[in-house]
Amino acid sequence: MIDRVIVRGYRIFRDFEFEPNAGTNIIVGDNESGKSTLLEAIALALTGRVGGRWAQDELNPYWFNQQDVAAYFDSLATDKPIAPPEILIELYLTDKDDDLQPMLGAYNSRQEKVPGVRMHIAPNPDYAQEFSDYMSSEDRPSILPTEWYAVDWREFSDERLTRRPKRLGVSIIDSRTIRSTAGVDYHTREMLTEFIEPKERAEVAVAHRKARHTISTGTLAPVNQRIAEESKSLHDSAIGLHMDQSSNASWENSIVPQVADIPFAMAGQGQQAAIKVALAMSRSADTTAYALIEEPENHLSHTGLTKLVARIEALAGTRQIFLTTHSSFVLNRLGLDKLVLLNNGTKATFGSLPPDTIAYFKRLSGYDTMRLVLASRVVLVEGPSDEMIFERAFRDAHDGSTPMQKGVDVVSMAGVSLKRGLQLSAALDRQAAAIRDNDGKEPSHWRDPLTDWLKSGVREVFIGDPADGWTLEPQFAKVNDDATVRQLFGIPDGEDTVEWMSSHKTDWALKLDESKTPVTFPMYVTDAVAFVS
Amino acid sequence: MNTATLAVAGSRKTQSIVDACSGGQPGVRRLVLTYTLTGQRDLALRLQKACPPGSVPEVMGWYSFLLRHWVKPFLTLKYPGRRLGGLNFDGSPAMTTKGYVIATGQDRFLDEQSRAYKRFLSKLAVDVADASQGTVISRLQRIYGEIYIDEVQDLTGYDLDVLEQLLNSTSTIRLVGDFRQSVFDTNPQDPRHPKFRGLGMLDWFEEQREAGRLDVTHSSETWRSVQPIATFSDSLFDSSLKFPATVSNQKITTDHDGVYVIAPAHVAEYLATYQPVCLRQAVTTQVPDGVTATNFGVSKGLTHDRVLIFTTDPIRKFLTKGKPLSDRSACGLYVAVTRAVHSVAFVMDNPEKASVPTWIPRGHSST
Repeated sequence: MIDRVIVRGYRIFRDFEFEPNAGTNIIVGDNESGKSTLLEAIALALTGRVGGRWAQDELNPYWFNQQDVAAYFDSLATDKPIAPPEILIELYLTDKDDDLQPMLGAYNSRQEKVPGVRMHIAPNPDYAQEFSDYMSSEDRPSILPTEWYAVDWREFSDERLTRRPKRLGVSIIDSRTIRSTAGVDYHTREMLTEFIEPKERAEVAVAHRKARHTISTGTLAPVNQRIAEESKSLHDSAIGLHMDQSSNASWENSIVPQVADIPFAMAGQGQQAAIKVALAMSRSADTTAYALIEEPENHLSHTGLTKLVARIEALAGTRQIFLTTHSSFVLNRLGLDKLVLLNNGTKATFGSLPPDTIAYFKRLSGYDTMRLVLASRVVLVEGPSDEMIFERAFRDAHDGSTPMQKGVDVVSMAGVSLKRGLQLSAALDRQAAAIRDNDGKEPSHWRDPLTDWLKSGVREVFIGDPADGWTLEPQFAKVNDDATVRQLFGIPDGEDTVEWMSSHKTDWALKLDESKTPVTFPMYVTDAVAFVS
Repeated sequence: MNTATLAVAGSRKTQSIVDACSGGQPGVRRLVLTYTLTGQRDLALRLQKACPPGSVPEVMGWYSFLLRHWVKPFLTLKYPGRRLGGLNFDGSPAMTTKGYVIATGQDRFLDEQSRAYKRFLSKLAVDVADASQGTVISRLQRIYGEIYIDEVQDLTGYDLDVLEQLLNSTSTIRLVGDFRQSVFDTNPQDPRHPKFRGLGMLDWFEEQREAGRLDVTHSSETWRSVQPIATFSDSLFDSSLKFPATVSNQKITTDHDGVYVIAPAHVAEYLATYQPVCLRQAVTTQVPDGVTATNFGVSKGLTHDRVLIFTTDPIRKFLTKGKPLSDRSACGLYVAVTRAVHSVAFVMDNPEKASVPTWIPRGHSST
């Protein structure tokens, strides 16, 4: 189990540290927040590879944190040049597992005596001269010469790693789909070959070699004879055809998974992801303690996703999972407590949520939690009509700018209790305004049970005075001229204003939203607008 | 319980390790440590054959063991920022012209490329283990359930401190060795524990036994030498050392079995008749022209049908007057004698003065 991840100088991560959960880690964040990069960094330290190729072969200047790189090149012009940028990825593993003890040592940036792996990418001292010549040449671009960098991959015991340690088995499931002729990507192939027992592998290898040999000596023999006859005039030595028996032609490279008699590469995109997860699950937890899953929701229908998430949950039983997602459904189902929120290369602090709230969102897995999670400022309203009215009030106060344009997300609770939304906002330490009807009770009746999650100036509840009406409709009617209101909404003669509005909630909200007629909003709504502005 | 088996030459010590590993509890991680490089290869091959795949013990040399498991993972805790570069086998830290090491601190242990000097490696190991505050041992005992150490008699100086820490760990330690074959020494220049050198190590074992860290057993059956050779080999050591008498299980006999002396004049004929392997204590021992002889130490671990030994003065005095040999000479001669299955012959002037029978070529008279 990975207890701690440290990433320094790698892409968006300048100095990143986080202590993952033992089971599932759901990594969430806006685009460019570093979700995929975090998975990539973990895979790099676990396997020494990126996308199936060795780090040393793939190393390029864009791996380095661009702020670090800029600071370095800027400093070269000054009299106090700083050291060239480096990349450090450290995975601190649990000290509880005896099998990991060989990897234990004090060679990590915290000098902790725990097992772990460390990937350090720094200028190669053997090429110090070349490096410095490059840096001092006049017309050099401000790009790092990574050819003189070395990738140093070691255990915390300082033992150099040349291949993935057996104990650090990992299943990597990316959302990229395969359309290549090779049939499967490196990670999937690795999963496949491990799927087969050593004894079976030997049998397959023998049969495969034999078949190739038979083709060479049997089927191709008459062909070769004929070619030999005909090629006499072309070349002194006989020319012939043979099946490739080199390691390129090993059976692993010619085997592809099939799903219901359809080759993997021909399967649907969604199905490919599902198969990869199924393959990952079939590996024993002994050999694969970790699974890295990238956006499993891609290409999947809701039912497909439901199945997939159930499988991932099963997978989580014995493994540590790192999963990125944009899907509220995945987040709700796997549990909000597993949330790791990234924001521009840093990890947002996330307080604890009461277990019943986690269970609540698991059941209400269709709820768009992700909006609450990702918004920087959020307004919680009870339903769609409240949403539209708040939007209009906001635009009126901001020269026509929508809340979204100003970085405010208005989220309709749609039946989800305000308490749950505020709990989540509080755990994320978000600014939040909640607006609700008083339903004939004093505001304190609603506000008091929520005090734990409220914070003056940060999270507040806005409720109208019961004397001005129980719901939004009487509150609105009270502060506006009755004739204007009736005309604006087209309330038929003989109907009571408030009664009509109450029974046509979305109608009047929609009309108000679309009209330009100046109106007045109840005090608690304008207060909420001012609060999030 | 940790055990030490003190065995006679030819008692199949190495096989006992192979048997213990292959017949032991499955799922236990085992480490087998041995001193000589040839020993490591031989042992690794035999273990691979005897143990089911997946539970073949790791075989490692003593120095690699100290480097990999003691020094390397924690060196930075003793000397911050240092990383172990490897082993400096022959070099020495700064010395006076008289050969006293004057280098202090890390320069005493590590050369410029951060390679550890062999001569101070076990001291460095002990220092680093101290700096790790016990993590060296806790890590080791969690990796290996059983640690076997072959040729334990070769460990000296600070190696004994390392050994004592291992005996105190929760891993089961099995030591196998033969003090009578103490011809090598892991730390010839280490001044620590001088009284435990060579046969003195018996006292160290006694201390460990009394402290309850070790069970000591003797294994006195040889499958190699015939009884007369076995009995002669026992006689090389003072009876106060209380080694039990060696019992031979060698049932094959020939027309020339046992221990003999021969005159230098008869060497050529003896060589022609029996084709023995020639041994000598060291290069300084004279051998006739045309004869190639192997040093006692180098012959360790080998089996020969017949052995011809070129003698030194102390060996001749032992053979004629029964004058006890020094510990070191006794050990060397013990190794040489116990190489033989059937016969051992000593070359010396006046062979009739020796207490063992003289071999004379057929048709020659004894004078």
